[in-house]
Amino acid sequence: MKILIADDDAVSLRLLEKTLERAGYEVTAVSHGRKAAEELCRPDGPRLALLDWMMPQLDGPGVCRTVRRKRSQSHVYLVLLTSKSSKEDIVEGLESGADDYLTKPFDLGELKARLRTGMRILELEDNLLEAREDMRYKATHDSLTSLLNRGTILELLAGELNRKRRDKSSVSIALGDLDHFKLVNDTYGHIMGDEVLREVGRRLLGSVRSYDFVGRYGGEEFLVVLNNCVAEKSVDRVEEIRKAIGSSPVRTTHGRIPITMSLGVAVSSPSDTRPLEEILCEVDGALYAAKSAGRNCCRLGNVCPE
Amino acid sequence: MTKSEHAAIDRYVNMPELLARVEDDRELLAELLALFIKDFPKLRDVLHHAVHADVPSQVEEAAHALKGMLANLSIQRGAELAANIEAAARAGDAREIQLAMDAFNAEETGLLPAVAAFMGGE
Repeated sequence: MKILIADDDAVSLRLLEKTLERAGYEVTAVSHGRKAAEELCRPDGPRLALLDWMMPQLDGPGVCRTVRRKRSQSHVYLVLLTSKSSKEDIVEGLESGADDYLTKPFDLGELKARLRTGMRILELEDNLLEAREDMRYKATHDSLTSLLNRGTILELLAGELNRKRRDKSSVSIALGDLDHFKLVNDTYGHIMGDEVLREVGRRLLGSVRSYDFVGRYGGEEFLVVLNNCVAEKSVDRVEEIRKAIGSSPVRTTHGRIPITMSLGVAVSSPSDTRPLEEILCEVDGALYAAKSAGRNCCRLGNVCPE
Repeated sequence: MTKSEHAAIDRYVNMPELLARVEDDRELLAELLALFIKDFPKLRDVLHHAVHADVPSQVEEAAHALKGMLANLSIQRGAELAANIEAAARAGDAREIQLAMDAFNAEETGLLPAVAAFMGGE
């Protein structure tokens, strides 16, 4: 674990450095507050710190206030280590944002125990953040394909429609449906059907740019949002996606399963003020047209079917 | 090291406590004492200048720094006397500052020679 120690007293700094290195910490030692704040505010900076109170340029409480103000990503556990020991000092130190307070000269056992407490708290925070990130991922992604789920892709699409009006750009929206997917499920079983859907997800992601969005819209339906893609280019782009999907049969544990996809496309230009639902209606109509035209093709929509 | 050198350092330094703090690391102990010999006179001079200039806030700051250094090295009496100067300066009491300074000066006269002798013996 990385730890920062800040003290302008060379004796104290060296004593702490050696003690903490012996205890297994990776120590960064600095002799003034400004440098301490700079190190602690770095994204990959230490998350545990022992700070002297009185230091040149910026004192210990000043470092605490700076770190609390600037760093919002993850918590830094700050311990003030000082020979100021009145109740008023302790209160002032803690109010500045310190998590703990130790008086000099430190007792070795107490110092180590308090740092272990800090590490436990940081570990707890890491676990909470990880759980929150896991929940956020589950709430926004489809569990089978790991693509964005329906709610998220629609939310992102709504955001992109607003943005393109401001930026005066165009957004192309493609809705793809796997052809005869029911037959895949009926012939090979749902487990194989799931394998096919996962592979389709991979192929879709592999055929779009990093700033496009791909989501699972329904069972075997997928929505692709092509940002900054004008009408003249949209059909070509969607054709590329269609070809990527059908380029080769999907290899499954039960053999190779050929697949194709039909796609409908709608383009929302900068002046388009239609609501999301209306654009989705258009793209749905275009998909229907692609299916009617014999499948494994794409069609550009322009009217919302009544 | 002679018994008298031991006795000299023991008069100033609580050696068992200091050895426990450095986890019985004699090399580290020597390194810290060398730093002390180098830095202590500078801090002491800062304190003297602040007292002569009659600026209590600077006296308090300098005495505080000395107190921390002395306490870390288990120089307990010296740390107590530095704390007395700090308290007197915080109270802005010039007479108390002078009295505390006199006591501190008397104590620290033999301190550096004792530490230096110990270092030579080690």
